Amino acid sequence: MRHIELEKLRELQRNPSNIRNICILAHVDHGKTTLADSLIASNGIISNRLAGKLRYMDSLKEEQIRGITMKSSSISLFFNMDEREFLVNLIDSPGHVDFSSEVSTAVRLCDGALVVVDVVEGVCPQTHVVLRQAWLEHIRPCLVLNKIDRLITELKLTPSEAHVQIQKVLEQVNAVTGSLFSSKVLEENTDKESNCKSSEREGPLNTLYDWSAGFEEMDDSSLYFSPDQGNVVFASALDGWGFCVEHFARLYAQKTGVKMEVLRKTLWGDFYLDPKAKKMMKGAQAKGKKPVFVQLVLENVWALYDAIINRRDKDKVEKMVASQGLKIPTRDMKHADPKVVLSSICSQWLPLAHAVLSMVCSKLPSPLEINVERVERLLCPHLRRFESLPIETQALKESFLACRSEGSDVPVIVFVSKQFAVDVKSLPQNQPRPLTQDELSQRKEQAKRRHADRLARKRSTSKDRAESSSPAREPGLLTGHGEDVNMEQPGSTDTGDEDPAQCFIAFARVYSGTVKRGQRLYVMGPKYNPVNGVQLPESYALPECPTGMNHLRLCVLDDLFLLMGRELEVLEEVPAGNVLGIGGLEEHVLKSATLSSTAACPPFLPLNLEVLPIVRVAVEPTHPSQMAQLVRGMRLLNQADSCVEVLIQESGEHVLVTAGEVHLQRCLDDLRQRFAKIEIDVSAPIIPFRETIIRRPKVDMVNEDMGSQNLFAIQRRRGAKTEGRLSEDIRVEGDGLVTVTTPGKECTVSVRALPLPEGVPHLLEESVELIRSIEQFNSTLHESQDVSSTQELPENTLDAIRNFKRDLEDRFQGMKWKNAVSQICSFGPRRCGPNLLLNRVEGYTRPSVWQCIENIRCSAGTYRDYDNSIVSGFQLATLAGPICEEPMRGVCFSLERWETRGVQTVRSVSEGIAEVKLASLPSGDEQQSDTDSECGRSTAKEGGSVAGSERSDEGIRSDRYGSCSGQLISTMKDACRFAFQMKPQRMMAAMYTCEIQATADVLGKVYAVLSRREGRVICEEMRQGSAVFSIRASLPVAESFGFAEEIRKRTSGLASPQLVFSHWEVVTSDPYWVPTTEEEYLHFGEKADSETQAKKYVMAVRKRKGLLVEEQVVEHAEKQRTHARKK
Amino acid sequence: MSIFTPTNQVRLTNVAVVRMKKSGKRFEIACYKNKVLSWRNELERDLDEVLQTHAVFINVSKGQVAKREDLMKAFGTEDTTEICKKILAKGELQVSEKERAGQLDQVFKDVARIVADMCVNPANKRPYPPGVLERAMKDIHFSVKPGRSTKQQALEVIRQLKETMPIERALMRLRVQVGAADAQRLRPRITPFIKVVESETWNDDLELECLADPGSFRELSELLSKETRGRASLDVLSLKEVEEGDEKLE
Repeated sequence: MRHIELEKLRELQRNPSNIRNICILAHVDHGKTTLADSLIASNGIISNRLAGKLRYMDSLKEEQIRGITMKSSSISLFFNMDEREFLVNLIDSPGHVDFSSEVSTAVRLCDGALVVVDVVEGVCPQTHVVLRQAWLEHIRPCLVLNKIDRLITELKLTPSEAHVQIQKVLEQVNAVTGSLFSSKVLEENTDKESNCKSSEREGPLNTLYDWSAGFEEMDDSSLYFSPDQGNVVFASALDGWGFCVEHFARLYAQKTGVKMEVLRKTLWGDFYLDPKAKKMMKGAQAKGKKPVFVQLVLENVWALYDAIINRRDKDKVEKMVASQGLKIPTRDMKHADPKVVLSSICSQWLPLAHAVLSMVCSKLPSPLEINVERVERLLCPHLRRFESLPIETQALKESFLACRSEGSDVPVIVFVSKQFAVDVKSLPQNQPRPLTQDELSQRKEQAKRRHADRLARKRSTSKDRAESSSPAREPGLLTGHGEDVNMEQPGSTDTGDEDPAQCFIAFARVYSGTVKRGQRLYVMGPKYNPVNGVQLPESYALPECPTGMNHLRLCVLDDLFLLMGRELEVLEEVPAGNVLGIGGLEEHVLKSATLSSTAACPPFLPLNLEVLPIVRVAVEPTHPSQMAQLVRGMRLLNQADSCVEVLIQESGEHVLVTAGEVHLQRCLDDLRQRFAKIEIDVSAPIIPFRETIIRRPKVDMVNEDMGSQNLFAIQRRRGAKTEGRLSEDIRVEGDGLVTVTTPGKECTVSVRALPLPEGVPHLLEESVELIRSIEQFNSTLHESQDVSSTQELPENTLDAIRNFKRDLEDRFQGMKWKNAVSQICSFGPRRCGPNLLLNRVEGYTRPSVWQCIENIRCSAGTYRDYDNSIVSGFQLATLAGPICEEPMRGVCFSLERWETRGVQTVRSVSEGIAEVKLASLPSGDEQQSDTDSECGRSTAKEGGSVAGSERSDEGIRSDRYGSCSGQLISTMKDACRFAFQMKPQRMMAAMYTCEIQATADVLGKVYAVLSRREGRVICEEMRQGSAVFSIRASLPVAESFGFAEEIRKRTSGLASPQLVFSHWEVVTSDPYWVPTTEEEYLHFGEKADSETQAKKYVMAVRKRKGLLVEEQVVEHAEKQRTHARKK
Repeated sequence: MSIFTPTNQVRLTNVAVVRMKKSGKRFEIACYKNKVLSWRNELERDLDEVLQTHAVFINVSKGQVAKREDLMKAFGTEDTTEICKKILAKGELQVSEKERAGQLDQVFKDVARIVADMCVNPANKRPYPPGVLERAMKDIHFSVKPGRSTKQQALEVIRQLKETMPIERALMRLRVQVGAADAQRLRPRITPFIKVVESETWNDDLELECLADPGSFRELSELLSKETRGRASLDVLSLKEVEEGDEKLE
């Protein structure tokens, strides 16, 4: 039964000095939610008996089934310590690495954290992560050493052994904190050093530099966890007990008469009790004595466990209970299960909630004590200095530190760290509740009015039509009712049009001022700059959203809630320093946001996400007509989850990008059950590839001469190619020059493919923006056909382009690439990719792409006809290569010949007219603009029209193949593809860099997993001052699915990889390789049974895309199922 | 009593018979099921994986081997392996179940891919992934007709799909230029072919940039060439007008 009334909590919210905002952080399965259960039970929200089993904070069904927390959720608790009443806003966070974004959202809103560590497992990867996060957010942690019961019942340690184990874990945790501290000090020192150096240049050089100097200046003792400082609780959340050293100190101070202060100092550490002198003596370890902690604390606990669980000695238990003065209900004492007895005794003897909450209230800071560093960090994002912010903004710091709620001049500042979806039905205002007298009379009034309306309508309609039947009125009645419902619940905002079942509640904290229901506040987008907004008035006065401010919006706070785990309570106003839920922000806030009453407030530092989403899958509705629902569902999911990305790819696939596999599973379940509510199908993870060509290798994998094999390969390919098409259309010359003719026989193009020199593709990819602006400039030039009207690019862009051109020239070395840079006519795909089209047609000089930086401007008319088609053909070819329709990368196509109708189209002015006749183009081109000439448009037009009249008969003939420009596009595309196929083709795989931190003993296993997945270790180094190795490896994205899972499993969770996309890498094996020589047959078997890696990738992609896969129906004839004949 | 005793009898199981009639005689060879087509598609290069035995039969099921003279007369050689290869290449066979299923599946996928290539979702101007289309095609109970070309079937299926889901042909971007003489007269006649007019400039002659259905391209080009006797120009600016790049849903 809950014994704290809502009113009480509301009252407590007004007193920030008695508020504690804390979160529980730990590695997965170290007992966060169980601990939360005990704390909740102390408030009577759940029964003591259920604490530890219910997992009250895990409100999702998924969470309960899997037994892990997935969402951070908050609850407000009441605690009474030494006559002071405290309000504890407790946030439970997930421990699984896939959900560490939720941890970030939780940590941001808190002032303190409870770090839970399993004493058996010790410090785990996520413990590192959460400690770092707490450190980065400047919040003060306290330690809970959990699962001490496991030392007794599972490991069966003696109290002394347990003491050693506990000490060890404590040291580990402190080591992590220490390394965080030292790294910070070092960082500051290097800053200082660089400053010093610049100043020391002038003066005599101070050569003596002590690297440890920084450490001595800074005091770090307050950071460490130490039982004698009272920031460590020893606990077993499952059995419901926990204690601080202080608890026992008080106990023994009464019993033994030793001063409590002394006891508290000596109870933990290397002390022993001298029974004769009744004194605490130092050096227990050296003298081989039992430490005090073992003798006075652990042995008692052990004795209790021994009596209850091992020996089941009822009498002894009763004696112990009596000696402690506990009152245990007989029902519990007689229970057959010793666990019940145990938890019943323990929770009275050493109540966990009391121990933890009193530590929280005494050791963790209140919102008033928010430190200056943290405020400055929150307020100035993106590496800006706090001092650079406008004065109005700097003034806000004061209100942060004051954390005042009253007064008209206090600005309201709220930070929303995430939004979560709840059923509209579960909102408190939609819960059935007894109606008040007023409401009843109101309803009566409304009903009367409705009735009157209906009568009136009836009368009017019956006048018009006597036979007006009742169904016609039914809808009116229904809508009337609907309006009524809406009136009652203004807050029930529906995100969809017809499906109002979900609504979003923002998870937020008030940093300053008091928020009231219905208040109007600014919403700061992440890119908002307060410099622009300082002159804006306070938002109370503002009727409209300010115009011209892109990242600033106005919103109305529809509802305020007190978060009580899975329940919500409506609030009218919330003063500073509290965690709250806000309804009705879904249209203004995407994931997180800063709300404020003053426009001078800057957006807070964006959440520090520990993991980036990497797992990509395509989702599609099982019934294709439900696409709209899916898209809406994905939008909602994006809003509800801080770490998911959703997008539509160019191919039309709807893609979901998630942090890991467990996260993916959750997202899909959410999508299916909450947001989209349709059946969806999920693809295998999408892996991007690129296609490229390489210089012909001189030596084969088995060190053989490649000559004969290459010849064979070319023959084979040529054979395959000519099958489908008329062979006369394609000619291949020995050195890879491919000549293709359009089906209508008008044009012939010759193209050669070359691999780009090293570094060029990378350079091109880096300067995408630049290339795009070049292309834009050129196209305006081309279209406007008027040189004067084109606008100039800004000077700095031009400089950048010049640099870019120079860089390119540097990289194109050698005879083969002579003049290559100036011959570039296009980049592809999408006119800005890492492939080039060179114009090497003799005698055709088209305006170069570098027009913007060259002063010589060719007039726009110098393009040859259909130049556009050639370029689009190239674009199409580079967008989808022949291996498996993936984009190309690092390929250069050089256009060597381009003929129209077998005649050299290098036309001079004099030949103009005759030429056009010959080149009779099917549908005609009136503005045949000739090359190489200053010839005006008028001449060309004349030529065109003359020619047009003469070739009408031919025009009809070649129409069979459609227009020439269209044909030329596909011809050029084919030519590029064939030219590509003439060279040794390779796949390029996307690579991750993978950072793994592992201890020395699991290093071997990490290597094994890496090598099995084609990974390559780049570097490996030992972290200074710890036994942790950090390994950097590269790993193909294709092999990464399940990698994290596998490595965690293999190393029992001691190594956890972080994957980030780094670069493209050529897969060395040839996807088309088949064994040809005797040795190869011997090596690989006739069918090359061991498939190459490249071939595997190609097949997988082709299959996913529905392309033709060379696959036999049955691989081995003899291995088919035999249908025996009857003999 | 049979003259065969079990010991010197070779029984073949899983036989696919390939037959060929030549010079009035019927020749048969015994192959493994599901392998003949992959031999013909040059996927399988190992003859022993295809042939059960190199012998050439008159009747496989009865085990009657062809006489040497007949072979000589029909094929001009006695090398049975060579003859087997000839029969494999040219002979008629009963396509086995798996092979047929594989073929139909391939055509089905091909059709889906062509549709994906040609069509877009009008809501966001992006293509549908082939997977979605395959399912949609199954939903409308589209079945492959082995005789017709995949492109024809694709056009057919687009028409059917339009009834159940929002799908449209991806439009072509065209540029039409008509001389001053015909511009006024032709403009209204061009209109029905065009879906969207992007830009239209009149300075004496008409220059029109527009999006049109690829299906009407042929008619439009015929109209222009006939009416203007070749003095109008029709350029394809892009074959398929689709949204480029990825879009973030937010």
